[in-house]
Amino acid sequence: MKGNRRSGTRETAIAAVALLIVLVVPFVHRSPAFEDFVIRLSSMALFATSLNLLVGNTGMVSFGHGMFYGLGAYAFALMMQMTELSLPVAAMLAVLFTTVAALCVGAICVRLSTDYFAFITLAFQMLIYSVIISWQSLTGGDQGLRGGLPRREIFGFDLASQLHLYQCCAVVAVLGLLALRHISASPFGQTLRMIRDNESRTGFLGVVLWRARLWAFTIAGGFAGLGGVLAALFVSGAYPELADWPNSGQAIFAVMLGGINSFLGPVLGAAILLALNDAVARVTEYQGLVLGIVILIFALGLRRGVLDFLRVAWSKDSQ
Amino acid sequence: MDLHALGACLTTSACVVTQTTSGLIVGMLLFLVAAGVTLIFGVLKIVNFAHGTFYMLGGYVAYTTLGVTDSYMLAVLAGALSMALFGVVFERALISRVYGSNVLMQLLICYAVVLIFDDLVKIVWGPEFHAMGMPQAFQVPPLFIAGGVVPPFYAVLIGIAALIAIVLGLGLSMTRLGKTVRAAAINAQMVSALGVNTTLLFAIVFAVGGGLAGLAGALAAPVRSLSPGMGFSVLIESFIVTVIGGMGSIAGALASALLIGLVRGFGTIGFPQFTDGLIYIVMIAILLLRPQGLFGRRL
Amino acid sequence: MKLEIRHLTKSFGGVRAIDDVSLTFPSGSLSAVIGPNGAGKSTFFNLISGAFAPDAGEVLLEGHDVVRRSKTERMQLGIGRAFQVASCFPSMTVAENLMAAVTARLGEWGNIVRRFPPPGVRERAGEVMDLVGLTHVENVKAAILSHGDQKLLDIAIALALEPKVLLLDEPTAGMGPDERWRMIERVRRLWDQRKLTLVFIEHDMDIVFQVASTIRVLCYGRVLAEGTPDQIRNNQAVIDAYLGKEEHAA
Repeated sequence: MKGNRRSGTRETAIAAVALLIVLVVPFVHRSPAFEDFVIRLSSMALFATSLNLLVGNTGMVSFGHGMFYGLGAYAFALMMQMTELSLPVAAMLAVLFTTVAALCVGAICVRLSTDYFAFITLAFQMLIYSVIISWQSLTGGDQGLRGGLPRREIFGFDLASQLHLYQCCAVVAVLGLLALRHISASPFGQTLRMIRDNESRTGFLGVVLWRARLWAFTIAGGFAGLGGVLAALFVSGAYPELADWPNSGQAIFAVMLGGINSFLGPVLGAAILLALNDAVARVTEYQGLVLGIVILIFALGLRRGVLDFLRVAWSKDSQ
Repeated sequence: MDLHALGACLTTSACVVTQTTSGLIVGMLLFLVAAGVTLIFGVLKIVNFAHGTFYMLGGYVAYTTLGVTDSYMLAVLAGALSMALFGVVFERALISRVYGSNVLMQLLICYAVVLIFDDLVKIVWGPEFHAMGMPQAFQVPPLFIAGGVVPPFYAVLIGIAALIAIVLGLGLSMTRLGKTVRAAAINAQMVSALGVNTTLLFAIVFAVGGGLAGLAGALAAPVRSLSPGMGFSVLIESFIVTVIGGMGSIAGALASALLIGLVRGFGTIGFPQFTDGLIYIVMIAILLLRPQGLFGRRL
Repeated sequence: MKLEIRHLTKSFGGVRAIDDVSLTFPSGSLSAVIGPNGAGKSTFFNLISGAFAPDAGEVLLEGHDVVRRSKTERMQLGIGRAFQVASCFPSMTVAENLMAAVTARLGEWGNIVRRFPPPGVRERAGEVMDLVGLTHVENVKAAILSHGDQKLLDIAIALALEPKVLLLDEPTAGMGPDERWRMIERVRRLWDQRKLTLVFIEHDMDIVFQVASTIRVLCYGRVLAEGTPDQIRNNQAVIDAYLGKEEHAA
C-alpha cells in the first residue's frame, strides 16, 4: 500500500507535467484550432468532472447540472460588464455565487428520495433557464449577453489574445481538477463512495447523509460554475444555451463516455465528445441525429466508459 | 406583475370562465402526458425523459394524417395508436436492454432518442412551425357561458380528456390488468414472483403511456402549433406534475395537472411575464411542505 | 456497559411488532435472543440501535435514557450492530471498509482537507482486521468476498466503531454447520477480548444453548421467557410455542 501523502505528491507531479506540456505546445507550433479546443476542453472538463463527483462518486444522478455552468457564466459576464471589479475578483465572486445557488437548490433537492432527484434537478435547471430567458433587461433574454467582456487582462495577460486565454484556461482547469481530485481522495470523498455503495450502513456509521449529499452538491455546483466562467471568457459573454438542458445531457454523456469510476474519465469523455461535435458539425447540420446515434451505439454496445474499460482490461492482464 | 388585473378578472364571470377553460385544456392535456410518465415510473422505476418525444410525434402524425384523410377523428386515432406502437418498440428495442443497469444508461438512451427525433422531425417536416388548424366541424360560433367565450372545440377537448381520465381510472381500479399494474407499481418483484409476465406488462405500460402522450399531442395540435423540440417543455411540465402529484399516483397526476393548468390560466392575467416561473414556485412550495407530493406515499 | 429496555412498544399499521418488552442485559453479558419468525427480533434491534423510533418505552445505557437520541448519537454512545444480510461497502477493499468506519468513528467523515485515510486510521483498522481474522483478504473487494467473510466484515465494521454494546442479527445466517461454529467461536472470542455486552439473534438452537449465558425468547412481540439455557430448555411455554414445533418438524 502506498503512503497517501506520496500519492498526493505524485498526482501533483503528473498535473504539473501535463500542464507544462500544454503550455509548451504553442511555442513549438501555433495551431488556432488546437488552442481553441483546449480552451473549450478546460471548461467542459471542469463541468463534467464536477458532475462526476455527484454521479460517479456519490451515486446522485443530476440531470440539471448545466444550471450551475450557466449561472457561473452569466454571473461572471454580468459582473464584468456592470462593475469595475478586476477579472480574478469577478471570477471568484461568480464561483461563490454559483456555490451559494447550489447550496440553496441542493437544500431542497437532496432531502428528497433519490428517485426524484433527476426530475427535480432538471426542473430547477429549467426554472433558471426560464428566468434567464424572461429577465431580458438583465440577461438579454434569448439573445444572451452580448457586447463582449471589458478589461480582460489579468496580471499582465491580455485574455483577448488567444494564446493568453489558452494559458489562463489551462492553468485554471488543471488547478481545478487537482482540487477536485483532492476532494475525491479526502475522507469526505470516501464518505461519498460509502453513500453510493450502501446508504443505510453509512447512516449507521454516524454520517449525516443529507449533509454529506448537500456538501457534494454544493461543491460540484461551484466547480461547474468555474467551468462556466471559462466558457464565458471563451465566448466573451453568456448565452442561454449554456444553461439549457442539452448541455446537461452533454455533460452526462461525457462522464459516461470517459468512465464514471476513473477520476480522469470525464476529462477524456469531454475531449472525445468535443472532437466528435466538431467533426459532426463540419459534415452535417443534423448534429443531434448523429450524436444520438453515437450515444445509442455507446449505451447498447460498449456500456462502459473508455477509461473504466481500459482499467478492467489492465487489471485482468496483470492478474 | 399585475395583481390589479388578476383581481378584476376574478370578479368578472366572463374572465373566470375563459381563463378556467384555457386552464382546464392545459391541465387535461398535461394530465394525459403525465399519466404516462407516472405509470412508467411507478411500474418500471424508469424516468422516461423521452416522453415529450411521444407527444411531439403524436402531433406530427396527426397533422400528416389530417392532410391525407381530411378526418380529424382519424388523425387523433393515428396519433395515439402510432405512439402506442412506438412506445412498445422503444421499450423492447432500447429500454429493455438496460433494465437493472445504471440509471445513467437509461437517461442517456432517452437523451439520444430526444436528439434523434427532434432532428428527424426537422428533416421530415422541416424546422418551421406548422399550424394544424381547427377541424371543419368546429369552425362554428363559440359558446357563451356566463359571459365567457368558450370555443366548442375546447369544450370537446376537455370532454375527451376527461373521458380518458375516467376510463384510465376505472381501468386501473376495476380490471385485472389495471390491478396488476397498480400492484407492480407498489412491488414489481412480488408481482413477477406471482407469475405475472412482466415482459408483457412492461410493454403494455409503455404502450399505454406512449398512446396517451400521442393522443395528447394529436388533440393539442389544432390549438397549439407544431415545431421540432416542442416535446421538451411538455416533458418538463409533466415532470413537475408527476412530482407535485406524487410519483406513481394517477389521481395525484390529475389533481396536480389541473392545478398547474389553472395556475397557467390565471397566471397569464396576473403575471404575464412570469407564468413559467410561477409553476416552478408552486412546485418548490409543495416540495417544501410535502416532499412526497400531494398524493404520494410517505417515503 | 449495561443495556436496559423498559416497556418498549412499536406498532406497524395496527400490528404490535414489539409489545411492552422489558429486558436487562448486564454489562459484559453474552445473551441470545430467540423466537419464531416474525417474533419481532429484528425490530427489537432496530429500536435499540435507533433505526426506528418506538411508540413508547425507554432504552437505557448505563441508566441513561437514549430513546430520543439519533442512531448516530447512539453509535457514539457505544451501541453497535451488524446486520442479518451482511451490510458492507462492496466496491471497496476490506481494509478500505474498515478505514472508512474508523474515519467515521473519529468524526472525520466530512473532512476535505486531509487525504484518506487520516493518520492513525490504517493502524486501527488493521487491529480490527487482526481481531476478526480478515487480514488475509485485506486487499480484496468486499463484493467478491465469501459469504462468511462478508458477515465477518460486517461485524468488523461494527467493531471499528468501538461499541460497548454489540447487537448481532443472525451472525451465522446462511452458513453451513462447520462455518457456523467457526463464526460463533470468533464472536465469543471478540466478546471476551473486548469485554462487550453482546446480544445476538440466532436460529440454531445448538449454538444458542452452548454459547449464550442467558437466553430471551420473544414471541409475537412479547417476552415469552428469559433465563439460563437450562431454565429455557425446561420452560413449558417455550417448549409449546417454539421448541415443540421445531422438534415436530425435525
